[in-house]
Amino acid sequence: MTSQLTVDYTKCTGCRICELACSAKHEGSFRPSYARLKIIKYDDLGLDIPNVCGPCEEAPCVDVCPVYAMRRDPITKMTFLDHDKCILCKTCVGACVNGVILLDTEKMRIIKCDHCGGDPECAKVCPTGAIKYGPTAQSTIVERHQKAMTYLAEMKRAADTHE
Amino acid sequence: MRFGGYRGRILRADLSAGTFKAESIPEDWIRNYIGGDGFAARLLYEEVPGGTDSLSPENKLIVATGPITGTLWPMSGRTVFVSKAAQTGIWGESHVGGFAGAELKYAGYDMLVLEGKSERPVYVLIQDSHLQLVDSSDFSGMHTNDVTSAIKKRHNDPDIQVAAIGPAGENQVKYASVIINNARAAGRTGMGAVLGSKNVKAIAIRGTGAIDVHDHERFVELAKEAHMRIRRHPQAQEMGKWGTWILTATKQEIGELPTFNHRTGVFDEWEKLSGDYIRPRYTISDRACFGCSLGCKKVNYIPHGPYSGTLEEGPEYEGLMSFGSLLGIGDYPTCLKANQLCNRYGMDIISVGATIAFAFELYEEGIINEKDTDGLKLEWGNKAVAIKLVEMIGKREGFGDILAEGSKIAAEKIGGRAAEFAMHVKGLEVSGQDGRTHRSIGLSHATGARGADHLRSLVIVDQMGYREIAAERWGEDKIPEILDPYTETYKAAAVVETENAYCIRDTLIVCWYSVSWPPIFWMDDFAKMLPLVTGIEEFGSLELLTEIAERQVNLKRLFNAREGITRANDNLPKRFTDEPMPEGPGKGQVVNLNPMLDDYYTRRGWNLETGLPTNDTIKRLSLEWTRNYN
Repeated sequence: MTSQLTVDYTKCTGCRICELACSAKHEGSFRPSYARLKIIKYDDLGLDIPNVCGPCEEAPCVDVCPVYAMRRDPITKMTFLDHDKCILCKTCVGACVNGVILLDTEKMRIIKCDHCGGDPECAKVCPTGAIKYGPTAQSTIVERHQKAMTYLAEMKRAADTHE
Repeated sequence: MRFGGYRGRILRADLSAGTFKAESIPEDWIRNYIGGDGFAARLLYEEVPGGTDSLSPENKLIVATGPITGTLWPMSGRTVFVSKAAQTGIWGESHVGGFAGAELKYAGYDMLVLEGKSERPVYVLIQDSHLQLVDSSDFSGMHTNDVTSAIKKRHNDPDIQVAAIGPAGENQVKYASVIINNARAAGRTGMGAVLGSKNVKAIAIRGTGAIDVHDHERFVELAKEAHMRIRRHPQAQEMGKWGTWILTATKQEIGELPTFNHRTGVFDEWEKLSGDYIRPRYTISDRACFGCSLGCKKVNYIPHGPYSGTLEEGPEYEGLMSFGSLLGIGDYPTCLKANQLCNRYGMDIISVGATIAFAFELYEEGIINEKDTDGLKLEWGNKAVAIKLVEMIGKREGFGDILAEGSKIAAEKIGGRAAEFAMHVKGLEVSGQDGRTHRSIGLSHATGARGADHLRSLVIVDQMGYREIAAERWGEDKIPEILDPYTETYKAAAVVETENAYCIRDTLIVCWYSVSWPPIFWMDDFAKMLPLVTGIEEFGSLELLTEIAERQVNLKRLFNAREGITRANDNLPKRFTDEPMPEGPGKGQVVNLNPMLDDYYTRRGWNLETGLPTNDTIKRLSLEWTRNYN
């Protein structure tokens, strides 16, 4: 089974431990601005939404890359960057729907999640289980999506039957 | 910076001249004070002379952080605002959660000091090295939540952390607070009024830098372990679910739920103010401050009734107390609405509620009547009047103008017997505890550096029945007395040690929860962690940490001594010492303060008559430098 980072924003408390742990692991310092994921906070609504790399049906970062430096593993669906090929055009930064691909202007490099090679730090440190790593079919979001699709199909069937 | 955890710089904003200056933190500050409260006390003592008017340009407002702020250590997202207090005229400090302190460190500064007074209304903008005083004339009179949104929108950056004051701060309501990002309050002692007096509407901070610690790998490992200790701790899990609302039921059970302006400790309608009642009906989400795996903040929504549509975080137990039992109101929606108004106007919910309770009692006693109160009927349990008064205080309208001075000054203005009903110590309203049913808090309230305060030295383990932890800290032989809430014996020992540990907590800065209650971390954990963060091996010694804590306590005491505080001011309202608790488990109890004070002063090395540090104590803690500043 392919594993992905999946989020359940109803569980997120917005503590940003994930951002701290991510930068601690990959940058060797505490620097949320260079974390590979981001919590979007809506203080006025009391809502926190984790934005992580994936799960993406389509991968815009791969599609827009002009030099084919960004690629997608056909099995894991994980996208990864070949830094040697990258020309730092930043197109992927703008194309990422979750806004988690960054340009480091100090070291001139693209910063992007690599799922910690299959053992992501953010999922391990999340205290509420809002960020999980596992087969996408287990994700609550996918479950909900499927539930909604089933209801819609049922409604359509009912409507068709009564016509 | 030589030492890990710090950015090593103090940012000074001279508001009068409109300039900024960064300077480095002296090494001896780090070794002798660690950070947070310690740094702030060091700076304030030297730079704000005795007798300075709190609301004059000569007063300074300090925003301080500690070496672990912004790191992975659990609950390290705290910030402290320090100034000579607008409300009390003595040492003032107010700790706040949220993300602002960490952001200040990411921007490259451990401390921010605001000096002088701006000619026009401004907000202080810190975006890494971009520093600016931005005109804020168009924000005048705006609520804190609107200012926060407006600043984020103007700079097109939702991640800016905004510490704003509302109309109350602008009107210099004495207990005006600073509100960070809508709902995190640096509430007590009137930091908002100091900002207002400096013509500063907000402090907006955004940083993208890094914090490096001395031994990164071992620190991360230790921090992750610490997070797991919290996640596994059954009481921490409860706290995450119920927040401080757990306390209502406990307080009622032990007869310490302040009711009717502290007249009694039991409240008939307590159930409607308890977590069990509130959470299933009103709570829509749980939130946390920076780096916290406990998550005690609750976002609530009122679906129906007179305050339907109210969406706001909180209030904490203290808010439920001050707008619930203290006023005889057994109604959560009223508490939430009051909390929302207090946040938007920028006022301390404890002091607002306590001052209104004071007015309610005056009305009942016939000391004031409808002519004084603009026709309002100040009767216990009157929800609409309580809410109306919050707005009147925030706007300093009519009767609200007198209450905006706090209960101490309001009592002086009203005159007569009014002072008997003002529940304050050194001008700060008493928080939601009662020394009659928990003797050690009586001593804490009397000796707290900023007044009647539950955060500086509240011994929790004696009250909540942590027998083993108490035995570990104070010895098996003292246990029967320490755990007995109705005796004065050994209470000073418990308060002194607790105060010391909390001082270190406030220098790091780490949150109340997990240190104070539930008691997961203590001094030994800090001693293990600090050398890994800073690289200063000496911080691994418990004796040194205790000495640093004592230095901080004494420095704050010397600051207060300069303002004329002596033993005579370490008192409690007569209600706690002379009026026996009328009902409940603590029926008949009063606080016998003097033996506890004697014991406390002796342990602190203070003169028994004056209550001030003796020359020996000053010398032992290397505080002789204080003699050079008056």
